[in-house]
This record gives sequence, C-alpha cells and structure tokens, in this order.
Amino acid sequence: MLWFLLFACGGGAPNEGGPAPLTLTLAGYTTPREAYAELLPRFAERWKAEHGQELRFETSWQASGAQSRAVAGGFEADVVALSLAPDVDRLVEAGLVAPTWASAPHGGMVTTSLVVVAVRPGNPRGIQDWPDLAAPGLEVLTPNVRTSGGAMWNVAGVVGAGLRGRAGVNAGDEAGAEALLAGVLRNVKVMDKGARESLVNFEKGVGDAAITYENEVLVARAAGRPMDYVVPPSTIVIENPVAVVDGYVDRRGTRAAAEALVAWLHTDEAQAVYARHGLRPVQASLIPSDWPRPEDAFRVADFGGWPALTQRLFADGALYDRALAQAQGR
Amino acid sequence: MRLHLALRAAWIGWQTLLVLLPVAAVAHRAAQEGLGGVTGALADPIAKAALGLSVGLGFVCAAVHAVLGTALAWALVRWDFVGRVWLQALIDLPLAVPTLVAGLLVVALTGPATPLGRGLEAAGLPVSFAVPGVVLALLFVTLPNVVRTVKPVLEGLDPAEEEAAILLGASDARVLRSVVLPPLVPAIGAGCAQVFGRCVAEFGAVAAVSGNIPGKTLTASVWVLGEVEAGDLVAASVVSLVLLAAAVLMHGLSLRLSRWAGARRG
Repeated sequence: MLWFLLFACGGGAPNEGGPAPLTLTLAGYTTPREAYAELLPRFAERWKAEHGQELRFETSWQASGAQSRAVAGGFEADVVALSLAPDVDRLVEAGLVAPTWASAPHGGMVTTSLVVVAVRPGNPRGIQDWPDLAAPGLEVLTPNVRTSGGAMWNVAGVVGAGLRGRAGVNAGDEAGAEALLAGVLRNVKVMDKGARESLVNFEKGVGDAAITYENEVLVARAAGRPMDYVVPPSTIVIENPVAVVDGYVDRRGTRAAAEALVAWLHTDEAQAVYARHGLRPVQASLIPSDWPRPEDAFRVADFGGWPALTQRLFADGALYDRALAQAQGR
Repeated sequence: MRLHLALRAAWIGWQTLLVLLPVAAVAHRAAQEGLGGVTGALADPIAKAALGLSVGLGFVCAAVHAVLGTALAWALVRWDFVGRVWLQALIDLPLAVPTLVAGLLVVALTGPATPLGRGLEAAGLPVSFAVPGVVLALLFVTLPNVVRTVKPVLEGLDPAEEEAAILLGASDARVLRSVVLPPLVPAIGAGCAQVFGRCVAEFGAVAAVSGNIPGKTLTASVWVLGEVEAGDLVAASVVSLVLLAAAVLMHGLSLRLSRWAGARRG
C-alpha cells in the first residue's frame, strides 16, 4: 500500500499547468489481462485528448474469487473486472459497490464466452456433446469448483444442458442431469485449482478433453499450441462483469475517470479488442461471424440468476455433491 | 541474574505468542459453530478420505525413508568415495528447492506426455496424477530428514565396535541388527516423525502431481485450500486443527526421540 502511495505521489510532477496526473487501479481476473494491456493505454490516450490529463494505470491480476476478496478486504481498486457476477455481489455486500451495478447496460457485463470442450487436434475421440465426455476410458480435465469460478461455469454448462432437455436428458429431469454430471465427473483425471492451470495441464498432454472457456482455447491456439474445440449444441454463455468500486472512487477522487473507462469498455472499439483476444463482445452483432453459434446458448438468468443456481447446484449436499458421490460409488 | 531471567521469560513469551496466537485463531474459527460444526466437518466423506490419504502418505514415506535414509546416512559416514560431498549436497537439495518443483519434476518425468508415463499407464500403473506420483514427490521433499538425524549419531559411533563384532565372527546381518542399528533407532524414529509431519502438511509438491480428485487423490492440505476459497472457514479450520495436532504430535515425538538418542550417545 505504501508503495502504491509513493507511486501515486511520484507521478505528481507538474506538467505544463495541466491537471495533475491521475492513477486508476484496476483489479481483474487473469483471463483478460492481455486484452487490458491493449485497452488501457488506448483509453488513457483518449482521456488525455479529452481532458488534458495524464492517466496512469495500476493493475492487479489474480483468480476472480481471490481478487474479489482482496478488494472486499481493503485493496482499494477503482474498477473491478471479474469472472462472474457473484464476485461483484460480494463487493455489494461489503458496501463497496452500489447494488444498481447490474442495471447498467448489458446487466453490468462487458464480455461473454462459452463453456466448450477442448480436444486433441482432429478430435480423435469424436466428442460432440456432453454425454460423450462420459464415455468409458475417456480422460477429462475440469478445475475444482471449490477453488475455481471457471469450474462452476463448467458444471452449470453440463447440468444446464441436461435440465433444458438436451444432452440426452428430459427437460427438468434433475436426476437425469445429475447422472449426466456424474458420468463426466467419473472421467475427471485432474481437478486443478483454476481454469488456466487446467488448460496448461491439457497442453502438457494430460487427458483427452478439457472443459474450459472458448477464449482460453482461442488464446492458446493464437500462441501456437495445437488443440481444437467442440461447442456442445447446448451450452452456457459465460458473462463477465465490470464495475466501478463506489466505496473507493469517491475517496480517491477517481470516479469520473473510472466511470468513463467502464462506459468506454462497452464501445464498439473496445469490444473489438476483446474479440481479438478471444472474448465474445456483449453486443451480439460484434461477435466475429466465423465463430461458432451453439443451437441452444443459455444463461445463468435462465435458471433464476446466480443465487438460485448456486443453491441448486453447489450448496452442501446439492446436485454437484450428489453427482460427485455417485461418480465415486459412494 | 534477574536480567537473565527476564530475558529468558521474554524469549519464551515471544516464542509462545508466535505459535500460540495463530493456533488460537484457527481454534477459535473452528469452534465458531460449536461442536456441531466440528463433527459436521469431520463427518464429510471427502474430508475424511483426504485426512486418511494424508496420514497414509505420511506413514508410507516415513517407512521408506526409515530404510532409505538410514542406508544413505550409513554410506555417507562409513564409505569413503569420490563425490561424497556432492552426494551430501544432492541429498540436501530438496531443502533449497520450492516444493512445487518436486511435484512438477514428477510430472515432467512420468506425465502422460512422456514415453515413461505412457508405458506406466499402459501397464496399469499410472504415476502422475495418481497416488504413486504423490508418494514420489513427497519422498523427494523429505529425503534429507532421516539422513540429517541419523548421520550425526552414526558419526559419533566408533567403527571399532563393528570391526570387533566382525572379528568375533558375526555375520553382516548380525552386525547390522545387534551393533549398528540399536543406537540409531531413536534417531531414525526422530527423522521418520519429521517425514510424517512434513507429508501431512505438504501442499505445493502434492497439488501439482496428485490430480486432486476428491475421495481419491485429494489430500487434506489441498482440501483445506478448497474450503478456504469456497468460504467454508469452519470446516477448513477444523481439518487444519487435525493436521496441526498430527504435526505437533509427531514433532513432539521427534524431539523426545532425539533427546533419548542424545542421552544414549552421551
């Protein structure tokens, strides 16, 4: 913290009578780090042109849940970019973010992605849909739901498809969806701490398939790592929020810049940058036309929002726990 | 004299604070939901399996190093060979390496991307992302422990006793059983206790290689991380306390045995 203050003060050198430089702190989850490395300098340029003020950025990247807990615990970030809405809701509970954050355009979300299945080049195991992941002898990677927000999206993708009457399960058949998930979990070989570690293990040659996000695969492929991916006919749309941390910006005098940044991130220009880094823009019209479109792309809202979905899937003794027990023959 | 006493009291007080405060904090958290919270956390089948696995790993590694560590220490003390100093340095290497690296090493050697890993897997004996891989990583991490407790005792023993036994016609096995081992037993026990404590508590080496499948390859220390991340601090604290108790127990045992070994030597 002291280091940060020093940095902020050190930046206060007088610059030709213009306003003193301003430093914005962005606390993000790790996935979009490269996108922000491109986005933030662009916004700073724009801000300088419009306000004559130099804008600097301090950034912090770690797993979404850990980042959210850090901000709730006193890490004074002006803007948060997190993996899933509950991590922003934690800041609402801490009195740091106004409950109205979700009524911003696109429900406070800035990017989306899809839960997909990464497979070996050429898809040698012929994986097309979720039930294929339960094939005997197949090895699957997915992170641990206790430590990874990404794993919760993955489970919601599998179970949600089942509950919606896809993936060989009758609509609303809770036991069927549980059996589908149990079949997949039975094949899980490694449960990593987070989504990135999981895909890194897949790249190292572990497993036949990895449940992951589309953007993770696109980034890995852009880096020259050979893998294909399959979009199941029915899968969940991952929605990533951004929010201004009201509790800190007023004290730090950064509200105007923080709000302008969040608004700018929704412009076509910024959304196109996200797309270049494998993330789907929230405006459907901006999604590159050659990206796959699943028949049935559903959202958390289709299951009544995160609190309801968390209760139904991840509470103690809920669907996930039961499926895990079933997978292990307990 | 008074100053000396005051210093001593301050020192002991400081040590006590350093250890007792964090432990008290964990205990306080564990007790937050009363007895029900404690029994509930311990009744969880995944937590039970994780604790069982951790304790089992501790015993297996302690048993292996009881033999391997003693043999290594004996070779280092009794044999004079080129590179002895280097061997000693190599044995101490795990002390200087982040334990995560130990896990990654095992994956690099026996992972599914390697011919060895594929062969083992085909033979029905997967190492990486299975229990054997965890054992290998833990054996690496705990390699110095027994060597370090046994070696000084061995150095204090007079080789003349062994030579006398041989001259009197005792077989190698008899020399080992009746002359070499008895004075070493307490030191071996102390080293094993350290190995056990380390294995039960180890995180980095385990998380990289185990696969972390609940009920199968998920160890207690990794399970605790999951509960912390998921916000179930009571369950995490309860299992942490169990781990802590095991470690304290083993450490106490280790100290006791070391003292006994020292007394026998003197």
